[in-house]
Amino acid sequence: MNPSFHEILLRSKQGPLVEEKEFDMSLFRKTQELQKKYEIRYDPQRPLDLEGAAADRIYQAGVDLYLSQGTYCSTTHRVIRVSEDELSAALADCPEAIELGQGEDRVRMVHRDVEGVQEPVVVAGIQTAPFSDERMMATIYEGCARDACVDGIWGGILLKIEGEYEVVAGTPSEIYQYRKTVEILRRAVAAAGRPGMITINNAPTCSATIAMFDEQTGLRRSDYMESTGMSEMKVAYDDLNRSAFALAHGVPIHGTHSSVIGGFSGNPEGAAITAVAASLGLVCVHKAVCFRCGTVDARIKSRVTRKQLWVAGTAIQALSRNTRLIVDGTIGDHPAAGPGTKQYLYESAAGHIVSTVMGAHSTEGTRKFVVGSTCNYGTPLESRWMGEVCKAAAGMDRPTADRIVRYLLDKYEVHLSDAPEGETYEALYDQKTNTPLPRYRKLYEEVREELKGQGLPLS
Amino acid sequence: MSTNHEQERLLAELKTAILEYAEGQAEATTRQIIAAGIDPLRVMNRTIAEAARELGDKFESGEIFLPHLVMAGDAMARVSELLESALEPGSEQRTGGKTVVIGTVQSDIHSIGKDIVAMLLKANGFKIVDLGVDVPSEQFVRQAKAESADIIALSSLLTTTMPFQREIIEILEQLGERDKYKVLIGGGPVTGGYADEIGSDGYGRDAVEAVETAKRLCGGSDASEPSGGGP
Repeated sequence: MNPSFHEILLRSKQGPLVEEKEFDMSLFRKTQELQKKYEIRYDPQRPLDLEGAAADRIYQAGVDLYLSQGTYCSTTHRVIRVSEDELSAALADCPEAIELGQGEDRVRMVHRDVEGVQEPVVVAGIQTAPFSDERMMATIYEGCARDACVDGIWGGILLKIEGEYEVVAGTPSEIYQYRKTVEILRRAVAAAGRPGMITINNAPTCSATIAMFDEQTGLRRSDYMESTGMSEMKVAYDDLNRSAFALAHGVPIHGTHSSVIGGFSGNPEGAAITAVAASLGLVCVHKAVCFRCGTVDARIKSRVTRKQLWVAGTAIQALSRNTRLIVDGTIGDHPAAGPGTKQYLYESAAGHIVSTVMGAHSTEGTRKFVVGSTCNYGTPLESRWMGEVCKAAAGMDRPTADRIVRYLLDKYEVHLSDAPEGETYEALYDQKTNTPLPRYRKLYEEVREELKGQGLPLS
Repeated sequence: MSTNHEQERLLAELKTAILEYAEGQAEATTRQIIAAGIDPLRVMNRTIAEAARELGDKFESGEIFLPHLVMAGDAMARVSELLESALEPGSEQRTGGKTVVIGTVQSDIHSIGKDIVAMLLKANGFKIVDLGVDVPSEQFVRQAKAESADIIALSSLLTTTMPFQREIIEILEQLGERDKYKVLIGGGPVTGGYADEIGSDGYGRDAVEAVETAKRLCGGSDASEPSGGGP
């Protein structure tokens, strides 16, 4: 039987009491053991698993890891465990399809197969980035929402209230400002002629995230609630508060977790096993109906290193081949390079091709990995690129994806540590027409033609 | 007193034990080192410092991972404890590792980056007081005082939690205690420019840079070196 949310909460209070350090080190020991048991090997010469055999072994290792390790509740210092039967029931209870958005802007988010032709849902937008003022925020959102290849928009934040008062997480200013920000987002998608479009945002604290939900002017039941798992294989009550609200309010829950290459998962093989195991945790503990299966590298500020492409791509493939879950990949969401550069487009394309071909959607927005407090650090053109690439990669076979990704890796891999910073919206766009300046349009078209030449079927 | 050859053999054995994360072996060898009459300062400033450097390089190159730093850090902490107990009375002040109170600021639950910095600092001879994540500003100040810390290290992974890094500096200023501690900041959205803007003493773009900055702030190339007054 699938353990209910309330049963999970009970286990978070009554499960084994474990020191966090012991849980972390246990994760390392188990991932090392399991990669030997299942003969899992990362080969840098093969950034994509083309046959799926390794993915299947990683899935089995992920199941073993989840059943033995469980999810650590950092609030109560207890381990939440589920049995094999309970895991099977939880996976069986998960829907194969959900609907997001409203009216003409509604989309169906379904289980995607490896090399599947099912259309990936794309939620773009400059995710969680800071904006300088309401006008600029509305303009950029509206520009992102105009592209038909984009199904939804991720919001960001205005760092000052009334241009004067600083927004600080965990204080009343956070609730006020996130709430005001999502209202701007709703008005912007309506102004773009897509009032029913998916709108997403996630504040640092659950109270501010919950405060954004309001059918009239905020996030709706047709959007999703983000419930984030902590790296690695952990959860806090602040995350489960989001799940509790979403379950009571009738909002689909989107889980998120990143295994860490170089962290307690250890090597890429361990990170792939943990990525699968943590995804199972998002289903069982967070009650997610769709989730992001991702990874980060402890040393590099990009999500599309060769190792990351293999880890996330193989973990997504593992889940796509062995379950009917709705998986979100979004590997290309945070390039090292900044907007307005070819490298940004190369990195983004590599990640989104892998996500899509391995069986995932891409719903976590797009922006430079590190934006700091620089405002307006992105334009609608990067969202269009994300949408164009994801939709074009649907139905592509793995050997073709592998060839294009290798081509892209050759372009950007050596520049990840000295990636170009790029430019802000003001430098890249004509603000009166909300369109890219000729030099940025030219750069975009050049890369577009280049990838078409490599076999990416951009329409 | 043992021969030079014997001393070198023991020091090499200790370094190997640390690099192999063998805490028990490291402890046993350290006891032999003390019994052999080798100056504890020499062990701290040379053998442990060399091991720490190698660990940092291996982590940076992807050869070892966070769990290895945890195991090596535990071994080095035990070795340092034994060596300090063997120092002659009055010499502790010259040799004691610098103390870092570290944590992720309030309303921010990101831990991995902070954990890596903490482990690398520990491996480099710093005494670490890890307050965890979502730590209230006052707690940083309170703990720094209680531990007589040298450095307060603050991690923030969210744009809207970066103001807490500034708040902690402001609290120290209001209490008239700003000069007692060096403040080191870092985290995904944090930049060197922001570090200057809020008046922090140092910034780490990544874990390795954070450790280098911490060493610099302590006025030496290594945490266990005599600092000539220190922060």
